[in-house]
Amino acid sequence: MPELENPFQETLLSRHRAEPCTVVIFGATGDLTNRKLIPAFYNIAAAGDLPPQFKVVGFARREKTDEVFRAELEAGNRKNSRQGHNDELWGSFAQCIHYHRSEFEDPAGYVKLKLLLDEFDKERGTPANRLFYLASAPEAFKPILEMLRAAGLNEGVGGKWARVVCEKPFGKDLATARGLNDVVNATFDEADTYRIDHYLGKETAQNIMVLRFANSIFEPNWNSRYIDHVQITCAENLGMEGGRGGYYDTAGALRDMVQNHLFQLLTLVAMEPPTDLSADSVRDEKVKVIRALRPLIGPEAVGKNVIRAQYTAGSVDGVARVGYRQEDRVNPESKTEPYVALRLFIDTWRWQGVPFYIRVGKQLPKKATEISVHFKKPPQVPFATSKLIKNSENTLVIRIQPDEGIALRILCKQPGQAMNMQQVKMDFRYSSSFGKASPEAYERLLLDAMAGDATLFARRDEVENAWKFIDEIEKAWHKSDAPPMMHEYPAGSWGPKEADDLLRADGREWRLL
Amino acid sequence: MPATLNESDLARLGIETPISRIDRALKQLWENDEAKTRASLINFSIYTEDSSTLASDNDLLDHVAAEHACRALLILALPESQPPRARAWIQALCRPYQGKQAVCSEQISFVLEGGDAAQVQNIVFAQLDSDLPLVVWWQADLTQNFEERFYSRIDTLIIDSSRWSDPARQFDALLAAMRAENVDFDVRDLAWTRSHFMRTALASCFQDAAALQNLAKLKTIRITHLKGQRTTALLLAVWINQRLKTTLELELIEKDSGPALHSLVLEGDGVRGEVRRDCDSSFIHVCTSCGQHEHKDLLPADVDSDAELVSEQLSRFHGSTLYSTMFPLVRAMLK
Repeated sequence: MPELENPFQETLLSRHRAEPCTVVIFGATGDLTNRKLIPAFYNIAAAGDLPPQFKVVGFARREKTDEVFRAELEAGNRKNSRQGHNDELWGSFAQCIHYHRSEFEDPAGYVKLKLLLDEFDKERGTPANRLFYLASAPEAFKPILEMLRAAGLNEGVGGKWARVVCEKPFGKDLATARGLNDVVNATFDEADTYRIDHYLGKETAQNIMVLRFANSIFEPNWNSRYIDHVQITCAENLGMEGGRGGYYDTAGALRDMVQNHLFQLLTLVAMEPPTDLSADSVRDEKVKVIRALRPLIGPEAVGKNVIRAQYTAGSVDGVARVGYRQEDRVNPESKTEPYVALRLFIDTWRWQGVPFYIRVGKQLPKKATEISVHFKKPPQVPFATSKLIKNSENTLVIRIQPDEGIALRILCKQPGQAMNMQQVKMDFRYSSSFGKASPEAYERLLLDAMAGDATLFARRDEVENAWKFIDEIEKAWHKSDAPPMMHEYPAGSWGPKEADDLLRADGREWRLL
Repeated sequence: MPATLNESDLARLGIETPISRIDRALKQLWENDEAKTRASLINFSIYTEDSSTLASDNDLLDHVAAEHACRALLILALPESQPPRARAWIQALCRPYQGKQAVCSEQISFVLEGGDAAQVQNIVFAQLDSDLPLVVWWQADLTQNFEERFYSRIDTLIIDSSRWSDPARQFDALLAAMRAENVDFDVRDLAWTRSHFMRTALASCFQDAAALQNLAKLKTIRITHLKGQRTTALLLAVWINQRLKTTLELELIEKDSGPALHSLVLEGDGVRGEVRRDCDSSFIHVCTSCGQHEHKDLLPADVDSDAELVSEQLSRFHGSTLYSTMFPLVRAMLK
């Protein structure tokens, strides 16, 4: 019998509404569920965008009842919900939350999960879509996926779909990423695999495509003829607080941030216009950028283009901070980099000769992520007595966080008799221009996953090509006879001097955030 | 000045300024305080011919500007008032930003006694923030001041058909304007927006598989609405019939108090869907029953005040093509 369509649903286009769905969160007692996922679902509910007859099942090892689980999540939601907490709404929303106790490796636990999901479908009177969210530690991904397959949960029921959402890190190098992808794709089709990168859920990240492709003034200038260079900075003013050192010391800034978040931003800035906005058209263009990255092979090329560093003791915001190797759960002889700066080239017609400088670091003076596009200076300034001031090129700044927005720096004549120029800034801020707060990245991404829009999720070839590039740098650092140096910078500074030298050698400077 | 103009209402409009000096006065307003940031994304104008709404419209602009940075224009036209006289006031509508700065919109208010169509146009067009879209909330009936040279420059026209004194005639005027040559404005009807939560909830109601299979058995629509919201209820009923491609028997029940739309019940042999909003509640109760099977849900109710409805409309930059197909049908029901 053909599936009936709800005639009232189709016209409500103003809201992004998915079909009935059950979400199963693996690792449901973890921080991510409490701090991000449940508050995101709650806020989706508060906006009225939750699919009808929605259910969420927490799957974890600890013994607890639905009631206890709900109470724990309620406490988390009170603290973390973007729009605050309403008892009446929570009371209704909480009814859709359930807890399922099982070991990740226990086949019987998955059989019982299947029975539970079937029971929900029976209550609904119709099968629902199923979304499996892997929020557990990455080493648990493999057994979970294998068990899902063994229980037949990787297949949708009654014409509905089953999908998987994977949290980062997606592998720690090309080999592990491939291994993981093989496991995932043995269980779910690539089209049903959603690798989440929360940077892509941010309003400004999504706005990059609009800025570039919906405004006719930028795209004609968006190439090596007019752009001198691009900088991408992700600065954090924290170190290894809250026991993060344990994981971080096995990853480092390059793997933890550059391979995923910053490469995603890089691809959005550098990609060619997609033919349409379908997920694969956009991702096809993004992966072309990663493939076109000029490889950095061998310690010499890496040493010349990549600066790694660890922070030493210093102070941030007037508070004393210990050095990286003295941080909690960090190996005192660690060779992991909490700071990395890279000079990259994209070998395409559009970007020939344009350096992309990327830097990311911990214990920097402030928390900020931004992209700055630095345009070339005019060939000559026809004002004989005027002298162009330092860093006077037009700069377009895309602020990802905090204070999301766009600023354009231009030169203007100073008022007065003399022909003096001054930099001025045209500034657009989401928060002051749009009174409404942007949804949290997870809200957008969860809705997209439930509605089947994979545009803001990483595809297998994106992930693997990014690892391929990163692996060569890691190899030069850790497996060569003459590895490039690990530099140092005092906590609270803008990174090592060598990172400044990387740009100075090209006659450029890092933008002061 | 007619007795209906209340000086205390006028005093709340800000600093009275000669119309020819508005630009200079605005500049001075910003120069006085460096902690203020001026922001503007649209020109938002309220046009009214009812002096009793001046104070509430002034409050409404403050609310709207908090969410939508704009050049706000409040125009009170009193075409019958003599002798002709035009007065203007300016003020900044500010809200705190990050605890120290204030983000502000500019508001210019006009009282146009004896104001005719040409005067209204001249005033509005002279005070627009250039290059930004023009959104006009025309609160009055579409009177003679609503004429082609004016509406041809509007990007979005907000109306509230439930406020019209003679809806059938006003819908005709609106249709004529929309069909005029060189006219391409979006229409947002607050009466239609008001039913949004009911429509969303109804969709949720019939997401239930059992209820969905029994849709064809539905026979009646019963809508309970606030007095004065008949057009709102009719728009909702027309939409339901259009979606179901049928004509269900319609019953409208009027109440003296409560939300604009209180409840909606669709009923037929063995199937029933109900959407209900209790007084002052931020949520709506949805209940679907089909034989022994029953499904209940609680959904957020949409905003209800004029200020919130307008603000909601300004958040949606795309026009409602659905509404354009609805209101000619409502017009037919009003005959």
